[in-house]
Amino acid sequence: MKLTTGLMATAVAGLMALPAVAEDKMKIGFVYPSPIADVGWSAELNAGRAAIEEHFGDKVETLFVENVPEGPDAARIMNQMAAQGADMIMLGSFGYMNDGIKLAQQRPEMTFIHASGYKLAPNFSNFQSRNYESSYLVGMAAGDVTESNVVGIVAAYAIPEVIGMINGFALGLQEVNPDVTIKVVWLNSWFDPPKAQDSARALMAQQADVIYSLYQDTPSVVTVAEEEGVWVINTSSDMKAYAPNWLLASQIADWSSFFIESVQASMDGTFEGTAFWGGMADGTVDVKSWSDKISEGAMARITEAADAMKAGSFHPLTGPVVDQDGTERLAEGETIADPDLLGIDWLVAGVETRLPN
Amino acid sequence: MARLVLVPRETATLLAPLQVAVLALVMTLLGGAVLFVIYGVSPLDGLHAVFVEPLLTRYGIGEVLLKMAPLLLIAQGLAIGFRAQVWNIGAEGQLILGAIAASVLAIRFDGTDSQLLLPAMVVAGMLAGMAWAAIAAWLRTQFNANEILVTFMLTSVALQLLYFLVTGPLKDPMGFNFPQSISFAPNAVFPIILEGTRANASLYIGLAVTLVAVVFVRYSFASYKLSVGGLAPGASFYAGFSSKRAIWVALLVSGGAAGLAGVGEVAGPLGQLQRNISPGYGYAGIIVAVLGGLNPIGILFASAIMALVYVGGDFALLSVGVPDAVTGILQGILLISYLACSLLLTMRLRLVREAPG
Repeated sequence: MKLTTGLMATAVAGLMALPAVAEDKMKIGFVYPSPIADVGWSAELNAGRAAIEEHFGDKVETLFVENVPEGPDAARIMNQMAAQGADMIMLGSFGYMNDGIKLAQQRPEMTFIHASGYKLAPNFSNFQSRNYESSYLVGMAAGDVTESNVVGIVAAYAIPEVIGMINGFALGLQEVNPDVTIKVVWLNSWFDPPKAQDSARALMAQQADVIYSLYQDTPSVVTVAEEEGVWVINTSSDMKAYAPNWLLASQIADWSSFFIESVQASMDGTFEGTAFWGGMADGTVDVKSWSDKISEGAMARITEAADAMKAGSFHPLTGPVVDQDGTERLAEGETIADPDLLGIDWLVAGVETRLPN
Repeated sequence: MARLVLVPRETATLLAPLQVAVLALVMTLLGGAVLFVIYGVSPLDGLHAVFVEPLLTRYGIGEVLLKMAPLLLIAQGLAIGFRAQVWNIGAEGQLILGAIAASVLAIRFDGTDSQLLLPAMVVAGMLAGMAWAAIAAWLRTQFNANEILVTFMLTSVALQLLYFLVTGPLKDPMGFNFPQSISFAPNAVFPIILEGTRANASLYIGLAVTLVAVVFVRYSFASYKLSVGGLAPGASFYAGFSSKRAIWVALLVSGGAAGLAGVGEVAGPLGQLQRNISPGYGYAGIIVAVLGGLNPIGILFASAIMALVYVGGDFALLSVGVPDAVTGILQGILLISYLACSLLLTMRLRLVREAPG
């Protein structure tokens, strides 16, 4: 009995939903963790929103809220979007995960895509980038240009994605220059320009002549490096304009194709909660604005490695890899599995700073 | 000729605080209207979104009550100290300590079905908030260290302690190394008091504290001693009232109340310990205490209005599309209007007619 009424209800709901979908535009909400600026993580996600609008035109309507803290207030923003008739919500930071999952369970008719994180539901996907691939490439460049053999990283949070990127960076660096010391400053914030700049200066004071600005949502570190004449690498957008002389390279991510696919799947009713991993191979991850000061030999090796990643024949986290304590984490020829990458909690040997725990 | 002049009030009236509050509110509405015009939004739509829309739905009312709970608690505690001229600026840190202590119990005793868990968390949170404030009280009474600086700086220490705990000892072992604790069991969270919303029973604690504060302020000799110590330290000393005791009472009460607010957050909307547990309630509580005229009943209304502005600001983000800074600006206008108008507490306007010539 219960089953049939359930089926009936689903059928009725389905019938009622059909004309609504045909008539209305699909409404898609975006929640960003930091202010949308010209560059940075939120700007990149917002570019994905623009791509959706361009691709679907009149069929979609988008709305967004920027600078939403990852605390109890995020739930209100999501609920408000749902109350305003959003059919799909993009959640731009891992801290929105639990509230997002709760809402997804309350609203099975909606779909959700969530940046990083690990929980899934039939209507709740998450998306990750294989940024450690591009990190490996920029690491090679850093190994080429450093003279002091000290490289500094200003890192946002010690979450698995960031740890994976530091490891990729370090391995790329050691591939070119095995004698480099890597120092890390943990910011514990996605958006704290003054602290990011102070940290960069602190690293420079410790002889670092290449600074890796890992997930600062602003050009804060990049501008300091240009001022001080120190090499800088950044993530999330091309920041060449902010350091025309000293930008070594910019890691970028392009979410357009994943966003468009997810919207299409929601429209077609084929959406499934899956974990999407975008990398060099599908164009989600790339490096832009290589400096022309990188030596020719190094650049050739970088291009070779990039091509191998695109072809799927090379994984940056391939053994032998030893962690800071000297424990072998990956045996000769072994590559790290995605689930292990999702929960990675060790740094490779050669990184001087410990994880904050 | 007639002109308005300010003359001192001969007698204190009950009307004066009311006049001030109404005038400040009217000025805030006018200021808000100007703000919306600047953003190209119809002022009526904007004010409707902030001040009316949240009250139109059950969910909205629940959100206002949810926000009100910590603000009310913190402000009631702070007001008692402020009356004695003891300035606890670090309620944010005491809130964090309360949240941590409650979480330790929730995590340690996860899996018990004892109904005493939540009450124990409440007591632990309160004691932890008191203990954190006690550091400032001890330094002040022992070494005359300024409690404004000490409480404020201890907030930074509390934050670092929180970061350490969520990335280390209190981290969810199954959480892929993300910096958050396990989700609390149902017997470790406050019950919902309004079906279909997030408003929970921690509000009752705020109301109970309000009741106690009313009785304390109106009828207790201890409160009288505190106020005299604040207004006229010399007289207080002559009367033999201990100023040290006043400092201890003020800081322990406000610290305990802030600790309770922290319990309300982790055992309420969050349901776990994570990095972001308060969007600055500790600081907003100072505004609420001042807005409420340091009067327990006034604070009750002030916390409701501040909560409304918070939630309404979020609503306005989506319904009329203004930036998130609007919430902060509106709160600022409210506070400044109130401070400006509070002149009328001791003075009154009088229309003076002058004989021509």
